Amino acid sequence: MIKRNDFQRPTPNAQRPKRREQKLFILTFLGPALALYALFVLLPAVNACRYSLLRWDGLGTATWAGLHNFGRLLRSGSDYLPAIQHNLFLTFVPGVFILTLALFFAYSIHQGVRGARLFRITFFFPNIISSVATALLWIFLYSTSGVGLLNNLLKRLFHVSQPIAFTETHNLLWAMVPMIVWAATGFYMVLFLAAMENIPETYYEAARLDGASSSHLFRYVTLPLIWDVLATGVVFLVIGGLKMFDGVWIMENGRPSPETHTLSTLMYSRVFEEYNVGHGTAIAVLQFVLVLLASLISMRLMRRERLEY
Amino acid sequence: MRKSFSILLLLGLVCASCRLQRDDPGRGITLEVAVFEGGYGIEWHKQMARQYERLHPGIHIDLWGDPRVDEKLKPRILRRNPPDLASCGLPVWKLIVAGKLYPLDAALDYPAYGQPNITWRQSLVKGVLSDYQYQGHTYAVPTNLGCWVCWYDRRMFRKHGWQVPRTWGEFTHLCDQIKAAGIAPLAFQGKYPYYAWATLLSLYERLVPFERWYRMEDFLPGAYTDPEFIHAARLVQEMATRYFEPGALAMTHTESQLEWVHGSAAMVFCGLWLENEMKNAIPPGFEMACFPVPVVEGGHGDPHAIYGGGGEMFFAFSDAPHPKEAVDFLKYLLSMDPARAYTRQLDTLSPVRNSERGISLSPDLQSAVDVMHASSRLFSDRIDTLFPEFTRGAEQVGLADLLAGKITPEQFGKELEAGMEDIRRDPDIYKPPPQGVPQ
Repeated sequence: MIKRNDFQRPTPNAQRPKRREQKLFILTFLGPALALYALFVLLPAVNACRYSLLRWDGLGTATWAGLHNFGRLLRSGSDYLPAIQHNLFLTFVPGVFILTLALFFAYSIHQGVRGARLFRITFFFPNIISSVATALLWIFLYSTSGVGLLNNLLKRLFHVSQPIAFTETHNLLWAMVPMIVWAATGFYMVLFLAAMENIPETYYEAARLDGASSSHLFRYVTLPLIWDVLATGVVFLVIGGLKMFDGVWIMENGRPSPETHTLSTLMYSRVFEEYNVGHGTAIAVLQFVLVLLASLISMRLMRRERLEY
Repeated sequence: MRKSFSILLLLGLVCASCRLQRDDPGRGITLEVAVFEGGYGIEWHKQMARQYERLHPGIHIDLWGDPRVDEKLKPRILRRNPPDLASCGLPVWKLIVAGKLYPLDAALDYPAYGQPNITWRQSLVKGVLSDYQYQGHTYAVPTNLGCWVCWYDRRMFRKHGWQVPRTWGEFTHLCDQIKAAGIAPLAFQGKYPYYAWATLLSLYERLVPFERWYRMEDFLPGAYTDPEFIHAARLVQEMATRYFEPGALAMTHTESQLEWVHGSAAMVFCGLWLENEMKNAIPPGFEMACFPVPVVEGGHGDPHAIYGGGGEMFFAFSDAPHPKEAVDFLKYLLSMDPARAYTRQLDTLSPVRNSERGISLSPDLQSAVDVMHASSRLFSDRIDTLFPEFTRGAEQVGLADLLAGKITPEQFGKELEAGMEDIRRDPDIYKPPPQGVPQ
């Protein structure tokens, strides 16, 4: 026999043990990860903020500096503003090529171009090589000595007698653009391809029936339906560009100059080579703020009405 | 869980107490010595440690080496638990000013090991102790001696009938001859523009008396806009734009030195470490030899002085348990017999005077020794160690632009002057008092 109470909501008292149980369950699984995150990420970050307010060489006694380190960064003649410019260059210039090429390759593969499987592997392959190995590979490619592939090709095919110093300080940032594009395009191609493959074929069929060409299909069907993934890709690119370290460091053999420093290399150099911990961590704090702002701005600019299918 | 934790805690305490008890009462004192393990290795250091222990039965030396010794020592210095003695790339000046280093004068003014008629200070090559003197005390001693020279292949010179130049005019004439033979006159380690700094300072020394040269070392205004400094910069720029191997400005030190070793370039300016650095690449029959930076015609400097000095600095920590005993071991390392073993084993020079006499040296090292014996004195530059901000900033950028022909020597001087003015104004950077010409 069904009792009236069987269909009534549980009383608040009965709900409490259940909620408590749920919280304990969540804490048990999240707790260790949160603890590790706090210990290895949050605590050092808070310490870094503290160090940025000190005058300290990392060896002797620290003294209070207030905002002195930040003031030094922002005054004229400082290396900080040029470093930001270099980061912005390494974000936007390769970024344009990466997005264009990744979309093109992903769309071509999605449309079923012959050899799609091979292309998928080939274009993604550079992404699995570590950034250090990539930089070393391109150093050899650009070398002006006998082993440099590019200079040898220029000499044999175009009779260029004087080798071009691609990795000389004044040319280095431009020389890094092909390297970054080569290394990163595969990842974004796979990202966009996965999003494209989730689009139901019926949309394309309907568009074709309406007389849409290939470019119309891309512009009016594919692009809007993968916009969220594209926005995510843009945010990744912006963060990656603003954090750039290893490529510059390796290609400058551990001694970037003010003409090639990025924020990360400048921070490392200040802290570990010039022993100016306060100044270096101030760079880190400002970099964090910059990356946060840039990510938020990117997400805001890329935001549009969500399309569901 | 509680039991496992307690066992772990106990184990940790035992390990910590083992570390804290560096001195085993049964073995006497234990000295800890940390050494940068680079191209010269640490085998010689270990052998000398064992010899020292035989001479001093109450002392045990725990000597260890690591290419990344700096990273291992930094946290220990902060914890006030440094080793007794160290040789590493830490900023010695910052350690001195922070009071972390032990002054060596008491030992320097005592008789040297094995040479009781002279002090330890007198047993060393003149000038090697001047780099790290603070408020009248010396805080670091080098175990290696070097100088800046121009290396060439005797065999190539013989084949073409080229003569070793003595003056800058002869040098440029030689470069023209080499270029006409289809060989690049000079290899250059372009990724590191500071390789041209020693050549520049050597040329400047050839032009001016030491009193004027050392104005740079005392960070006096106008040192880098001195007309003779600008003239030296002009000579370096001409050398770079006319005689450097094409593409040199993008080459690392190993790339450019390989080019030299393989005969694509005839000469390279470098220190005495070149042979050790390239020993696996030097082909059979290659005859390394060197000559000093040529004299500049019309110059008023000492034509026989040579840019060089001590390297592989050792220093003792004032926070360490046994700094006095550590300094005594250092004194032993830099005495005649160990120094001779150093030269024999590593084919390089020790700062102990005359330690290379009677030893059969390799031809290239003998060539360098001949250059040093013919010199009147060594002089060196302390700006690199004092102001890495200047070295990595104005100096590096200015040199890169000068060598590439992008700025004039006058602009170069102004950039350096501006960079040094920033240093003078920065309250966070320690500036030692002027020292004049070291004696």
